[in-house]
Amino acid sequence: MGLLDKLSVWLGRGRTEVTVLVLGLDNSGKSTLLDALRPPEQRVHHSQPTVGQQQDHFQSSGVSFSAWDVSGAPRHRALWERHYRRAHAVIFVVDSADHLRLVVAREELELMLAHPDMFGRRLPLLVFANKCDANHALAPMQVAAALGLERITDKPWHICASNALSGAGLTDGIAWLARQIRDLHIQHH
Amino acid sequence: MTRWLDVEVGNDDIEINTLPSNLALVDLHNDNEYKLLIGDLGKGEEGPKLKVFRGAMQLLDLPLPDLPLGVVGFYASDTVPRIPPVVAVAFSSCIYIYKNMKLFYKYYLPSIDLSTSESEIWKQIMDPQNHNEEVIPILTENLKAVPHKVLSAESRNFLSMTLDQQLEYVEQMTEMPSRKIPEVACITTLKMHSIERQSVSCLVVGTEDGEVIVLDPHTFHQLSIAKLCAIKRTPYQMVTTGLYNVDYRITVATREKSVCVLKRDWSEGRLLFATDEHIVALEVMPTDHSVLVICCDNTLSCYSKKGKRQWSLSLEHRPVALTLVPVVALGVTLAAVALASGHVHLYDAKARRDTMFVKDAASVMKFGQLGQEEHVFITITKSGNLMVKILKRTADFNAHAASVESALTPGAGTKPWFIPKKSKLFLEQSVRERENPRAMHQKFQQELNSLRLVCARSLLQAHERADNCVAAGALNAVRLAAEVEGLGPVFRVTLILENTSPDKAAIGLAILFHVPPANYKVSNPYIKVPLLPPNAKLQFPTKVEEIFEDANPDVFFRTVTGEGGERSLVKILLVKEGRTSPVLAATVLMPPTDPMMLPYEKMQQGFENMALEAMEA
Ligand SMILES: Nc1nc2c(ncn2[C@@H]2O[C@H](COP(=O)(O)OP(=O)(O)OP(=O)(O)O)[C@@H](O)[C@H]2O)c(=O)[nH]1
Ligand SMILES: [Mg+2]
Repeated sequence: MGLLDKLSVWLGRGRTEVTVLVLGLDNSGKSTLLDALRPPEQRVHHSQPTVGQQQDHFQSSGVSFSAWDVSGAPRHRALWERHYRRAHAVIFVVDSADHLRLVVAREELELMLAHPDMFGRRLPLLVFANKCDANHALAPMQVAAALGLERITDKPWHICASNALSGAGLTDGIAWLARQIRDLHIQHH
Repeated sequence: MTRWLDVEVGNDDIEINTLPSNLALVDLHNDNEYKLLIGDLGKGEEGPKLKVFRGAMQLLDLPLPDLPLGVVGFYASDTVPRIPPVVAVAFSSCIYIYKNMKLFYKYYLPSIDLSTSESEIWKQIMDPQNHNEEVIPILTENLKAVPHKVLSAESRNFLSMTLDQQLEYVEQMTEMPSRKIPEVACITTLKMHSIERQSVSCLVVGTEDGEVIVLDPHTFHQLSIAKLCAIKRTPYQMVTTGLYNVDYRITVATREKSVCVLKRDWSEGRLLFATDEHIVALEVMPTDHSVLVICCDNTLSCYSKKGKRQWSLSLEHRPVALTLVPVVALGVTLAAVALASGHVHLYDAKARRDTMFVKDAASVMKFGQLGQEEHVFITITKSGNLMVKILKRTADFNAHAASVESALTPGAGTKPWFIPKKSKLFLEQSVRERENPRAMHQKFQQELNSLRLVCARSLLQAHERADNCVAAGALNAVRLAAEVEGLGPVFRVTLILENTSPDKAAIGLAILFHVPPANYKVSNPYIKVPLLPPNAKLQFPTKVEEIFEDANPDVFFRTVTGEGGERSLVKILLVKEGRTSPVLAATVLMPPTDPMMLPYEKMQQGFENMALEAMEA
């Protein structure tokens, strides 16, 4: 039995969902990434920037995910915090070819981690160094350094390179996330 | 706390020598990823170049034929899908137009005939008989007598030669200069018919002859030409506002310590105002068209659109550069002023809102969209480094925000205090006081003392009576009522305490709230009641908030008009010092919170709880 299947057993065979927040700057590829996580026949290929937020449900290896895809546009970033309390995990998507805005991504990540609804909670943080196929894309370790991930002590975190267009790298990341959620659950009982 | 995020720029191989007019932020590929274009003057061996940056990374390095004077990007046509913007680079002799960063067209200003006096002199210079060391210097002098500004480039070139060079030059000359090619002094763009980001702009060219020419973006035909001012003025920096086809203003800083303005349908511009010293840079506020200038006398001044000076600040050091910093989200447009000391001050009108420090002093600044980021502050330092800062989303430039130092030094610039005129009454009183001060003072002190005595006496009286009343036991005379206002979740409960006794005051009372802590939160659960005089009423408003921690979701389905049920019973006790049981008690049935006012998250959580319970069951 795969890890994700075990997870789904604990959760009562998909009767409830794990709420993940998908955050990141605008144009980082959040919606594209969520689209790639769905079964091929359910993909929508939206190319417009997200307005406000949208909820996405998808199954991955038998686990039912409820993902909040929140717009990363500057004037919508204030909406992120409304979802912090219900989140069981966070996926933070970074455009690893947008060198200029790595500092902005870092600032937003730091604001999120310092928020009262997030600070000190041991929820897993998965960072996708997305667009790894693009020209001048930075390696995940460089992105991790630019975001200052090494300074995060209150949450388990993981970074991996991804290409949301082809789907490369996504399953590895999601598998890590599922493992973390299961481990946290075991610790709780 | 800084308001800016520093972008790391690998500075090792970037060395830029440029002017403010040579920086442009252009959406070069129409993908909303703005590029930074820099016309680099070069240095030493390095010739002039046009550089294109993506973020802080250089993409392109295009050699230029001459020193660039200005770089602009603009949309030349309306076709859909949009063709990427073209780039214009101005040199003194011509303007190069690039499409997709490939040279596409060279524009020369239309030539003008030489003035008659100049061509007369040239006729003589051309005459072989005059080619000797005696006559040439005389002709040179004659040429010098012609106003320099109307001279052709050839004449000016001729004047700068030594006599030997001149003799050699005239020997080789075959044709006399007949027409002069006007020179470009500065360029900018002006939107044609719409303020939209991708709408078509025309090119505006300021010439050394003091003319402003507007060019069609497509054909490069002259749309209009106007003299800047009746007296010759040389444009140096132009700022356009408005639309060419509707109404526009071109505000121009000139080399002659003045600012001129040119409007639609004017055949000639007008002087707007003159400054004491040379103008370093000019900006126009988009809202009210007021004009900001920094000058060599270390001032930052603001003039109204009519040219009236509104204020002026003296700066601690020589100003080097000026740029506007519009922050749309905050609704403010700040002006950034870079000083030779390395400080960059941001002003909101004349109030200083922020200060940055640039290690080796800024020489050129630009604010706008770079890449995908809207609020980027670009600085080129004196030594040629590129510095990029991004304004934080949470930045605030309010006067009250922390770390703001006021630019207002006392005395200078502050409004004088409003002091009303001395009244007749005041004058007479002061005369009387001067005449017999001692008697007046004594009288005043006496009356003050007697007032204090009366106060003390009545307080004592009230105290005695109140005590009597308490001693008697029952507080029949005190009544307690409550009023509830609001839609919830925060209600205002006003307690009204009334003493109906005709002669006895009540003291030592207090109000205590008794609420289920899971359902309500009282802002002030214990209120000490001050002395309650006879026949008086006191009101105590208190905030009572209904809370929904781990609430049963049924709570969300109560009817608005109905009652809150058992959970909303609030007890109010009136207690008295020294007594173990409450004097009075009242219960208030709180109304249910209006469902429209329920916090969304709480509801959501309530439903989640419900789901969990259902699952566990
Ligand atoms: N080359 C490349 N392009 C990608 C990748 N992921 C996303 N993109 C492109 O990036 C653009 C933005 O993607 P979106 O998914 O809309 O970005 P978003 O994070 O949802 O943006 P907002 O909704 O505005 O917050 C789209 O044009 C995608 O095609 C990737 O891995 N590689
Ligand atoms: Mg999106």
